[in-house]
This record gives sequence, structure tokens and C-alpha cells, in this order.
Amino acid sequence: MTVPKPTVEEMQERAAIDRSARYPVLFFFTSAAAWLFVATILGFFSSLKLCVPSLFDSCPFLGYGRLFPMHMIALVYGWAMQAGIGVMLWLMARLTKNELRYGTTMIVMGHLWNFIISLAVLSVWAGYGRSIPLLDFPVWVWPMMALTYALIVVWLIPMFRSRRNSYVYVSEMYLVGAAVWFPWIFVAANLLINKGASPVMGAGTDAWYISNLIYFWMGPIALAVAYYIIPKITARPIYSYPLAQAGFWILAVLAGWTGFSRYMGGPLPAWIPAVSGAASIFILLAVVATVANFLPSLKGQTKLWEYSPSLRFTVMGMLMFVVYAVLAALSSTFTFGKDLQFSHFQIGLDTLAFYGFFSMTVFGAIYFIVPRITNAEWPSGSRIRTHFWFSTYGIITMVVCMLVGGIAQGGDMAQWDRDFSTSFVNSSAYMVGRCIAWGLISFSNFAFLYQLGLMFVGKGRKTDGPTLIHSEPGAAADARAAAGLS
Amino acid sequence: MDSPEEKNIDYETGTVSAVDLHDSVRRENPLDKGGQGRIGMAAVVICCFILIIGGGQIFQTFVANGSGFSSNIYLTKDYQPMPRPSLGGDAAEKEQVAWIEDWMSDGKKVYNNCIACHQASGLGIPGQFPPLVGSEWVDGGTKRLGAIMLHGINGPLKVGGQTYNQLMPPWNNLSDEKLAQVVTYVRRSFGSLPEGEDGVVTTEMMKAARDEFGAHTGPYTEAELLAIPADANLSGAKVDLETGDPVGGG
Repeated sequence: MTVPKPTVEEMQERAAIDRSARYPVLFFFTSAAAWLFVATILGFFSSLKLCVPSLFDSCPFLGYGRLFPMHMIALVYGWAMQAGIGVMLWLMARLTKNELRYGTTMIVMGHLWNFIISLAVLSVWAGYGRSIPLLDFPVWVWPMMALTYALIVVWLIPMFRSRRNSYVYVSEMYLVGAAVWFPWIFVAANLLINKGASPVMGAGTDAWYISNLIYFWMGPIALAVAYYIIPKITARPIYSYPLAQAGFWILAVLAGWTGFSRYMGGPLPAWIPAVSGAASIFILLAVVATVANFLPSLKGQTKLWEYSPSLRFTVMGMLMFVVYAVLAALSSTFTFGKDLQFSHFQIGLDTLAFYGFFSMTVFGAIYFIVPRITNAEWPSGSRIRTHFWFSTYGIITMVVCMLVGGIAQGGDMAQWDRDFSTSFVNSSAYMVGRCIAWGLISFSNFAFLYQLGLMFVGKGRKTDGPTLIHSEPGAAADARAAAGLS
Repeated sequence: MDSPEEKNIDYETGTVSAVDLHDSVRRENPLDKGGQGRIGMAAVVICCFILIIGGGQIFQTFVANGSGFSSNIYLTKDYQPMPRPSLGGDAAEKEQVAWIEDWMSDGKKVYNNCIACHQASGLGIPGQFPPLVGSEWVDGGTKRLGAIMLHGINGPLKVGGQTYNQLMPPWNNLSDEKLAQVVTYVRRSFGSLPEGEDGVVTTEMMKAARDEFGAHTGPYTEAELLAIPADANLSGAKVDLETGDPVGGG
């Protein structure tokens, strides 16, 4: 199945859309990358505290109880939300063939968002954290966050309504979904936890929020990126449009049921963890639909995998999405979950979602988008290679250590006649691995931030031809195929 | 690579653009709605597996466990909060507590109703409230004690050679079980029981007391109590102190 080559008018239209999106999108990407670097450093130091607990003992500002929530807030709201918003804006503009409007409002709101997240991180640092995973910040922060998010993302809706295609592309569905689902889960979780819900239900709601943040916001954006990048780079349209739609609706119906299984066996009515565990399993249907759609596009494309940064990051991200979904489903069944809950396993699983699948996919999008909005090419292919391999090895090391360490820890905790401290002593070796992994990831993101900074200040490569992971695509015969690589 | 002139030529149509287009825009592949590809058999089989496993999870809670959507069932059959023997813990080895210890500790809780007058020590307050320690009303048969518990006492009463003029309230609002527990607690803690007597009053015995004295109205007077034989016991089977099971008639 081939699609006609675009005309010059279509290319000019694309260029105009890219120009309109330039400043807001670049702003969100750059500040997100800066937050990501901060988050990885915090991740490194909080992991170091688990290896050497007596480190900085006299200083409460460097305790694990403050460093880890700061790390998570910086990672999720500083990096992931902003990078996700940047991707949403550009993708929506391109897919609906609308120029991005209200760019100035978005940049102002983006600054405000950065300010609020800084306040949130600093107040946790000052000791006002509330020990509610991912909602640690003081209670006055969340209404501001919700409002700011709404004022940035609300402009996607008129854009979607004035789309100029005869059909709704799959990525558009996911983007609209992510845009409207996040405010719902964020406001619902905060209202329930802060006003009304019993502490037991509050803990359950928090687990629901984390799971929904992954399946209702990060997942859809990552999938929107993958459904865009993979057909773009491989020049093969999505294999099956109905299948992609089915995947979307399965996710839409089931994601809201997941999460509570994290507190299985707790003082919650038995059906809640059971149903949410079943939902986590049924969500694998959406994963199967996605994989079945991408496999035909990727079949035999080893050369593209080798050279294209966007494709490589995106495919790696999707791979981790599959791993995440399978592990999340396993750990939400009673058979495995009861030995894994409350251990490092859960944190490892969350990190796999935040960094492994969401961030890797979004890196792919950023490597695709930024050359187009800055009219310049990435300065160095070898730095992209560094970013990819250090990130990949880092996150794999991290997740394997956390999962295996988590199994050891959970198994120890499940034995009533064993000293509680044993569970920490036995899993402490894996924490060294976690520490090293954050070091690797931190290094890789320094390379990324440096590269993005060069693009931001206009120091990108001005010559033609994409920057590829390896410098030369090879023989002259490949030159034409290389056209779509980035 | 291309010269600036070449760059703006559309090779398909041969037109030349007046606007300089960046290479990244020109090299981009087009996007299309997507095909109508068929789903492979492998995907269908995997989906079936997922449906079966997920369905099993629901089935176990809703049908096998029988809890449905009820909000007051907290335990799932499949989730065993206790460690399993396969992990090295022995779930069955729960320490056995004798029945009488549970019975006494429950009785002690009920006795909290009594400590304002009789005190935690059971010694009462000299001259005001009679002691339970060394009291003939406690040490004797259980019939008198059962009657007192149900209806209370009004007026002068001689305890241990001293006369107390007080009102003891009736406790017949408490259940037979609670009354039995507190009487057992009082007799075993404060009484000086005859040889071979375990001092236990069971729920069954307390029920017999209620049957016998339930018709009485108002608190007892000393004269009424003295009409009950001092060594008469409430009828009911004696129990095994370890298990709480009845052992023959008595």
C-alpha cells in the first residue's frame, strides 16, 4: 500500500505549522529536559541513600524521605508532563493540519507550570511533603496545577474540532483522550484524598491515580507518538485502522478500573482489588492490538532501526510498554501480587513506566520534532547513540534490580517468623544496582540536555540530511531510503 | 547534498516552490489513515488466554468466594495473608490459648462496669461499698449470685459481719454470656472457692438463672436473698477449661 508523495503546497503547509508551534513546543521540551536532568540526579542520590543509609545523616534535607518524593515529582510533573504537553501540541497541530494558536498563552502558562512545580519540589524539600506517592506536595499546590494544565491543553479541543482530514487518525484519538482524562483523574484523586475519603480509601485512591496516570495519560501519549512515528519513518501506513481503534477503546474502558490491586488483602472490600486486577489483565488486549499493528510495519526494517534515532527510541519505548503491561498484570493477580506488594517491585514497575516506556517513546518524538521546528539538524549522532544506550542499559539495570530485589524483599516480608530488617538487608545488594543505573541514566540525559540546549540556542547543524545514529547510511543506493529516517 | 535550487523542486510534479523548505520537511514521508489488515491467528489465541485468565480472577471473587459486589467482605479466598509453608513459614502453628483464659479476660472487660463501687481489687470501699473478696455471697452457691446480678440489691445487707446500706443496680440488660463471664471472673479472682470447684459459670447456667428469677420485679432485699439456699448452684453442664466444651451433667 503506497501513499502519493506530498505536493510542494503540502510541504509548505507543514513548514508553516512547524513554524507556528516552534516557540511553545521548544519551550516545553527544553524545560522538561532540564527537569529530567534534575530528576535523574535526585534519583541517583535517593538511591545512594538506600545503599549507604548513614550518608548525610545529620542533614534532614538529604534524607530519603525528601529526596525520593522530590525525584518523583520532578520526573513526573517536571519532565513527563511538560514533554508530553509539547508532544501533544505539535502532534495535534500536524495531524489536524491547523497552525498552533495561543502560543504566547501556552508559554506564559508553561512558565507558571514550572514555577508551581518548583514550589512543589521546594516545599517537599523543606519538609512539607505528605507521603502520598506522586501527590506529595502540599494541598494548595494541586488546584493551581489543574488550572494551569487546563489552560494549556484546552486549546487542543478547538484544534481537534476544526481538523481538516476526512478521518480521525488514531493518534488524534489518543491525544484527545490524554488531554481530557488527566484533569479528571488528577482532580478526582486529589478531591478524594484531601476531602472525605477514609485513609484506607485514600491509599487505594492514590494507587488508582498512579495506575491511571500511566494508562490514561502516559500510555495514550506514548501510543499517539508510536502511531505517528512508526508509519512516518517506515513509510508504511498502520496495518489495521479498526484494530488500532479497538485498542484505543479497550484502554479507554478498562484503564479507570486498574490500580486498587496494589492494596490487595488490605481493608478494602474484596471485589475492588479483584476487579482492578482483572482489568489490569484485560488491558493486555489493548497491548496485543498495538503489537499486532506495529509488527507488520516493523518487519524487516533492521536498517531503519540501525540508523533512525526516532524509530529506535520509539520502538524501544513500545517494547518496554509491553513489558510493563505484562508485569503490571502479573503483579495484580493474587497469586503473584501478595508476595510483591509493598516491595521495591512496585517502585521498579512505576519507574519502568515513567522512564522506560513513556520517556523513551517521547525521546523518539523529540528527535523527530525538534529538527522540524528549529530548521536545523541534531549536532551529533554519536551523542544520540550515547543517550540511547546509556538510557536503555540504565533503565534495564534499574528495572531488573528493582524487580528481582523486590521479589527477594516481598518474599522475606511474607514470612512472619523472619525479622523485618532481613527483608532490607537481603535486598540491599540490588539497591547498589539501582544507584548505578540512575548514574547511567543521569549521564545519558546530560548528553540529551546538552544537545537539546544547542538546538534551543540555534547551534544545530545547518546542512542538509538527517542526523543519524551512525554517521553514514552506507552506499549511495541507500541514500533515497535514508530520506525518511528522521 | 542538494543545491538550494534543486531543493525546492518537487520531483513528482516538476513544479518549483518559491519558498525555501527545510530538508526535514521535504524528506518526511506522508501519513495515511491506515489499512484494513487482518488479525493473525496468534493474536486471537493470545487474546483468548488473556480473557480466560482475567475471567478466572473475576470468577474466583464473585462466584467461588461468593462475595459479589458486597462492601463488607474483605477477604478473598485466593489471597492468603498468612505465609504459606512453601515459603518456610508454618501457617497452622497458631499458639493455642485455653478457653478459660479468653473467658476470664472477657469477664475482666465486663467487670469494668463494677469497679466504681467494688474497685478493681474487689475490696470495695470500707463502710460504703461491700467487698467481693471474702464475701459469703460470692463464695457460696451460684444461684444467689445469679439472682443478685439480674436484679441488684436494695437496703441493708450483711457482708463479712458488717452491714452496708446501699443500692446495687440490676444488670439484666447485659447478655447471658457477658453476665456469665463477669461472674466467673469475680468468683475465680476474688472468691475463696471450695476444693474441686472451678468457679466457672457458663452462658447456659446464666440462662437458667434468667429463667428462674426473670419474673422477679425490683431489686432484692436481704430477706429475699436469704430465702434462696446458700449452697444452691445454677443448673448447667460443667465445662472443660481447655476447650470450653461441656463435660457431662452437673
